[in-house]
Amino acid sequence: MNLRLVVQTWRWQRIRLLVVGIAALIWGGLFPLFYVQFSDALRQLARSGAIPEQLLNFGSGSLFTLPGTITLGFQHPLALALIGIFAVGAASSVVAGERQRGTLEVLLARPISRRSLYASVAVAMLAMVLLMVSLVLMGMVGGAALQNVLDQLEVSQLPLVLLNGFLLWAAFAAFALAASVTFDRAGPAMGLSLAYLLINYFGEILGSLWSAAAWTQDYSLFHHFQPGEILTGSLDPIDLLILGIAVVLPIIYALIVFPRRDVPAPA
Amino acid sequence: MQATTAISTAHLSKRYGRVVALSDLTLDVQPGEIFGFLGPNGAGKSTTIRTLLGFLHASGGSASVLGHDVASQSVEIRKRIGYLPSGIDLYESLSGAGVLDYLADLQGREPVRRGELCERMQLPASVLKRKVRDYSRGMRQKIGVVQALQHDPELAILDEPSEGLDPLMQQAFYAILDGLRDEGRTIFFSSHVLSEVERVCDRVAIIRAGRLMALHDVGELLARRKRRVQLRWRGVAPDLADVPGLADVVVDGDRISATLQGAVAPFVRAIASPSLEDLTIEPARLEEAFLEYYADDRGPESADRPA
Repeated sequence: MNLRLVVQTWRWQRIRLLVVGIAALIWGGLFPLFYVQFSDALRQLARSGAIPEQLLNFGSGSLFTLPGTITLGFQHPLALALIGIFAVGAASSVVAGERQRGTLEVLLARPISRRSLYASVAVAMLAMVLLMVSLVLMGMVGGAALQNVLDQLEVSQLPLVLLNGFLLWAAFAAFALAASVTFDRAGPAMGLSLAYLLINYFGEILGSLWSAAAWTQDYSLFHHFQPGEILTGSLDPIDLLILGIAVVLPIIYALIVFPRRDVPAPA
Repeated sequence: MQATTAISTAHLSKRYGRVVALSDLTLDVQPGEIFGFLGPNGAGKSTTIRTLLGFLHASGGSASVLGHDVASQSVEIRKRIGYLPSGIDLYESLSGAGVLDYLADLQGREPVRRGELCERMQLPASVLKRKVRDYSRGMRQKIGVVQALQHDPELAILDEPSEGLDPLMQQAFYAILDGLRDEGRTIFFSSHVLSEVERVCDRVAIIRAGRLMALHDVGELLARRKRRVQLRWRGVAPDLADVPGLADVVVDGDRISATLQGAVAPFVRAIASPSLEDLTIEPARLEEAFLEYYADDRGPESADRPA
């Protein structure tokens, strides 16, 4: 791994990290507020039968409990956008973008092996993903403290929530990085990575809204991210194992494929 | 580590499916020489360079650079070389100085020559402070030259290095190369500009459709070329039949034109006469040698030849 490359990869993203990081913190902070403001009203609405309770759930989350609200905050499309900017957008273009711009030439002319190059950008990208997941979670904890509902969270379980969230997004980042070292242009790499994210997301949301399609959740990586369960003390280690495998497989692929592929002259 | 050859290839080949980009290339580049690698666009020059640098994996044969195998010791090779890619692209959001710092850091060697190179390539600090996105093509090429040579590499691999440089900067660049040669550095110089190869290189390889067509000392190659001679004569034309190396003699009134290969002295002796009114002997040009090897490609179908 090349530290200079790690640092420079962060530098390329510094403005985006700052802006999106602040947004992630604020986003996380809003959910305890939503919980305090709306959970009772929604519960009454569900009991009245006016709206089926299923429709008040979103993915594995809901506004009925604080842990459920935290799950909802992580599974909301805006959270996808905030974390996906790095896990999918930046990760898929980190190598393919250099190739497309023609700067991979001068980079590969340095005494850095391709595995080292990959490892460096992967560490940089995964660290960004960890930062974003941490900021969303920090916002949620801070928001819960501000709303005086922190006692509803098992604070000692928060590191496990962070690990679970990181593994989920690291799986998408690892996939995007694998796509990035495979394609010569950022567009196809980003398209494939985004499709992977959306298929997983669609499977989770569809299964939660429509009981006949509940089976689709089993095939979604999002279904293995369960902060609500962790915060109520019922973590299934299989979830971590599945996400761990989803992280490791694309990394192994990239470490094999990238050093072996040809890098012809830029078009 | 002192290598006996700076670059050595043996039956090196590269195929893309059924397209042969490089075929059976065998050549040696000696330490301390400027080696020209000549061929038109698509002849296989960049493919050769990219294979030497480990960007491409050879389909057959072998190659070594500074004694290191290109397939298994690519990182070791890149520690000791400088590379200027053809039509270099740089990081648009960095300043010129930022690019040079970044690439020097990744190289892991002090940029000991940067100051001197920037001075000779007319890159003052005020220019280096500007973002690369504001640079002209020529400015980017200058930065490319500096990044390739700033760490004082033992071997510089330069692909179309004078592309985009104005004539004054080209001269400055050639002077830099002359200086490097005097210091014993090796330069592998790929180009399709015949005049600069003739000006700069000690030896030249001519490549065509991925195959090595010729490998010569530039001086020898030029000595073997036919010069065009023209003379104007008053009165009866002299008998030039016995002049060694003279051919294609055409007499048109008082003008005689011919080609001359080899020594000039016998020809000059044969025409030494008060009847000689004018004499022109054109210098031998690499262009003629080059065109001879590409004679079959001058038809309209040549542009479709695969790289």
